[in-house]
Amino acid sequence: MKKALLIFIALALVFTFTVSAGGQKDGGSAAVSQEKVKIVFTSWRTEDIERMNRINAVYMKAHPNVEVVFQPINDNEYDAQMKAALETGTGADVIFLRSYDTGRSVFEGGSLAVLNDEIPSLEAFPDAAKKAWSTEDGKIYGVPFAGVTHGVYYHKDVFKKYGLSEPETWDEFIKVAQTLKDNGEVVFAQGALDDWTCYEVVFSGVTTNWWGGEKSRQALMAGKQKLTDANWLSAFKAEDQLQQFFPKGYEALDYVSMQQMFGTGQAAMFMGGSWELGVFEDLGSGSEDIGWFPPPLVHKGDRMQYCFHVDAGIGLNKNSKHYQEALDYVRWTSTPEFAELFMNELPGFFAYTPGDYNLSNPLAKEMIAVASDADLTVRAVWEKMSAQSPSGNSLMGEALTKMWKDEFTPEQAAAYVQDGLATWYKPFQK
Amino acid sequence: MTSKRRNGWKPFMVFFILPAALIYTFFLLLPIVDSLRLSFYSGSGFIPTEFVGFENYKKLFTEFPFKQRMLNAFTNNIEFFIIVTIVQNIFGFFIAFLVTRKIMGNNFFRKISFLPTTLSVLVVGFLFKLILNPAWGIFDKMLTAVGLSGIIHPWLGDPVTALPALAIVVSWQFMGESVLFYTAGIDAIPEETLEAARIDGANPLQELWYVIIPAIMPIIGIVTILIFIGDFTQFDIVYAMSTTQANPGFATDLFGSLFYRATFSTPVRGGWGMGMGAAVSSLMFILVFSAVMVWLYFFKMKGDGNE
Repeated sequence: MKKALLIFIALALVFTFTVSAGGQKDGGSAAVSQEKVKIVFTSWRTEDIERMNRINAVYMKAHPNVEVVFQPINDNEYDAQMKAALETGTGADVIFLRSYDTGRSVFEGGSLAVLNDEIPSLEAFPDAAKKAWSTEDGKIYGVPFAGVTHGVYYHKDVFKKYGLSEPETWDEFIKVAQTLKDNGEVVFAQGALDDWTCYEVVFSGVTTNWWGGEKSRQALMAGKQKLTDANWLSAFKAEDQLQQFFPKGYEALDYVSMQQMFGTGQAAMFMGGSWELGVFEDLGSGSEDIGWFPPPLVHKGDRMQYCFHVDAGIGLNKNSKHYQEALDYVRWTSTPEFAELFMNELPGFFAYTPGDYNLSNPLAKEMIAVASDADLTVRAVWEKMSAQSPSGNSLMGEALTKMWKDEFTPEQAAAYVQDGLATWYKPFQK
Repeated sequence: MTSKRRNGWKPFMVFFILPAALIYTFFLLLPIVDSLRLSFYSGSGFIPTEFVGFENYKKLFTEFPFKQRMLNAFTNNIEFFIIVTIVQNIFGFFIAFLVTRKIMGNNFFRKISFLPTTLSVLVVGFLFKLILNPAWGIFDKMLTAVGLSGIIHPWLGDPVTALPALAIVVSWQFMGESVLFYTAGIDAIPEETLEAARIDGANPLQELWYVIIPAIMPIIGIVTILIFIGDFTQFDIVYAMSTTQANPGFATDLFGSLFYRATFSTPVRGGWGMGMGAAVSSLMFILVFSAVMVWLYFFKMKGDGNE
């Protein structure tokens, strides 16, 4: 038995020495890497690694003592992982922040720096953008960086084949869809599997003129309108009208398949976000092949209501080990130089940074041009109404998919969201 | 060796127990206890700090949409368990019966039947998602090729077919485990017993019904309880094939996916906060633990009776 005990002690000692030797080795390499300051930049966009690396290379060239490492996290896990890392002291130095309540909850966790004094140039950013990443008393915790917009993509050759032109009104839009359907074309590359697209893109972004844009959104948020009111209900009905033009098996078509279907030319139209420009380019549908038009109006001559959603802010970890270097980098993200690099690398993202920009993508130019003559709004139930469970976002997604599968009528879908929100959203409980 | 020496406690034994006990305590026991503790707290941060007593459980059992989602996950889990149990037990046993017969290629099939089990659930999930894709999936093309285009269906998009589709994929993947267990059980039946049955005039079907099945009853129990534990903690297949939203419209939501979404997603994506997530995981723990205890009790009773 003594022998067994000795063997055990000997093994334990070997294990201890091995571990401690490994620790020394790590310590040694840390000493070597002290030459450069490493800043970690995290985001929910894993598809941007190469493009972000190219942007960061410009910064690193001008700041040879700094290494900026872009480490995105899968969209679904992003918020939880990022928050956990920040709260346990292992968070990234520079952080992509979602707008309004989701970003606000990170700030309230106590890990973000207030940027008003650190980056005075933020003063010149548009107020509507600053609002999405600041508190009521004006503390800005994220560079109000980029917005996205929504509309309808189409394949130019298919439109040309049937002599179709970009529709201006909803009726024209339906007529175009009907013509394509009558000619045996797959009209929309649209599916109902990933419910967020039914709400975030189609409802918020394409039926905007039906629900009425910013004025209606503010009235809804204040409890002065209900989702069952005529304007909101008309948007549910308009969205329901599109179902007849969806491809066979649309119930099981997921988001990536939708993009691939349109990007590879297997459907004539796609209701999508501006951020998809790069994806379609990668799939072989560049701006010479595809066209884009904004959300159709209800009546000719109406003023365009345009969902220009506040998408990404850039926050600074106030507990960063390299606070000054990280702050310098965040300052750079608020400059027109970064904005132009970003917009050209990631066409379809539009910076709020004041300045004159030369966009290389013609469709991106079209998208931004629409904004200059439109009333801008954000996604319908994003602000405040998605701060708690059940959130407006998830209720909308669920109701709209059920409507597209004929489990709900438009009236039932609207009432489902209204009643769901009324379980906790005070203005709806009056 | 006397029984006293066999049961005697020696201090050096601590060295053998300690490493495993430490790992078990730190990585299993403490997280479970901490998770139970967290289920009594609420708050918006990653670590909830406000003590709320049984409020999270009250919400989970009484309020919209928590109650609906929990009951939905529960009934889905039962349905999923029933399908997997039936498919895996019946087909697994049938394959095991065949590969233990003296027929050509039995050894080859014995080995190959375990192959899918060695794959990652995520890989299998993504693969079947592609196979069942309505736009370019090979499954619908195969149906068309054999003249069955009439039954083509949005398999993963219809709430009626999505969950059974996932259950069948899981059954396919873990069929190898059932085959392995049943093969071992059938192999362990003494050849003399089978021979005696044959001499008594039993045909292959009678041999199966009166000798083999009674002999492997305990294995059916083991396989079923393993399926139960696996299914009530299943998450990966939902994640791979139906995303964290358990598409379509929570039709494929199981306790595992509900727990993950509730805990780690933001409210925007259907999250409920860490405290509520801990309440879901505690409920899962209580369910699985109770079921295993009941199972052990009955099997122990049966075992005692046999002695």
